[in-house]
Amino acid sequence: MSSKAQSSNNLNQARQTVQQLRLEARNERIKVSKASADLMNYCIECARTDPLLMGIPASENPFKEKKPCTIL
Amino acid sequence: MPCTWVMACAYAPSGCAVACGGLDNKCSVYPLSLDKNENLAAKKKSVAMHTNYLSACSFTNSDMQILTSSGDGTCALWDVESGQLLQSFHGHAADVLCLDLAPSETGNTFVSGGCDKKANVWDMRSGQCIQSFETHESDINSVRYYPSGDAFASGSDDATCRLYDLRADREVAIYSKESIIFGVSSVDFSLSGRLLFGGYNDYTINVWDVLKGTRVSILFGHENRVSTLRVSPDGTAFCTGSWDHTLRIWA
Repeated sequence: MSSKAQSSNNLNQARQTVQQLRLEARNERIKVSKASADLMNYCIECARTDPLLMGIPASENPFKEKKPCTIL
Repeated sequence: MPCTWVMACAYAPSGCAVACGGLDNKCSVYPLSLDKNENLAAKKKSVAMHTNYLSACSFTNSDMQILTSSGDGTCALWDVESGQLLQSFHGHAADVLCLDLAPSETGNTFVSGGCDKKANVWDMRSGQCIQSFETHESDINSVRYYPSGDAFASGSDDATCRLYDLRADREVAIYSKESIIFGVSSVDFSLSGRLLFGGYNDYTINVWDVLKGTRVSILFGHENRVSTLRVSPDGTAFCTGSWDHTLRIWA
């Protein structure tokens, strides 16, 4: 009897999976070529404002190594 | 905190409260105050209740709602004020280890990653799983949205980071090397999304070029595994936390 309960459980699970898959199959997808082109464009556009890519000008960097000061 | 392990913490958007939780199966919110005399523990509010450990938590756009993920395989959205469960998300077949909310311009979705090797994208309003990705070969420890919100990266115990495009509905890049055999505990993008930082269990941080799929750099410094990694909001630096009891800031 417990095997019947188990198999009906599995059946329910399988039904749920199929339903979920059907829902997901209806999603609209775009081509990878367009998606990757968009990602690339986004990167390039935002690259100028990314400090880890462009670096910070030495004048604004509070952690830059200080050169010893020489007095004439 | 009453329990021994805190596994998740998050700042409220206003900066006035923090939420944290862990093995106590709950997520508690503590209001912050600069007054040293205030007994903060007394003001703690227990918001979320799961049936297993809390693995991650995050405030949504406001201080009033919290999203949590748990070892019980579910994610849940809670109202902070009343502690009421607003929405629950069922679909993972095993512990959910991480979650990330979509950047605000792109709407009410979030992605979660779990021990069932799947990364699921959910609609916060309906509780429905909209998309599911299963290409990792082991537990997904960390997920993070790409800055534009059209993609997300995941880091897993299978030693790879992968990039999934949401509009194309598939994996578009794998960041791995044969020499890297230790799992990724945490991933984050730089501001522009060009760089992907991964904290690994072999004590290093690998920096990947997102577009080219190649490793830009490897950073050493920690003396034990890197457990968490986050880029600062202004993008000038990132911080890593590790089992060697230190937090390091890299710039």
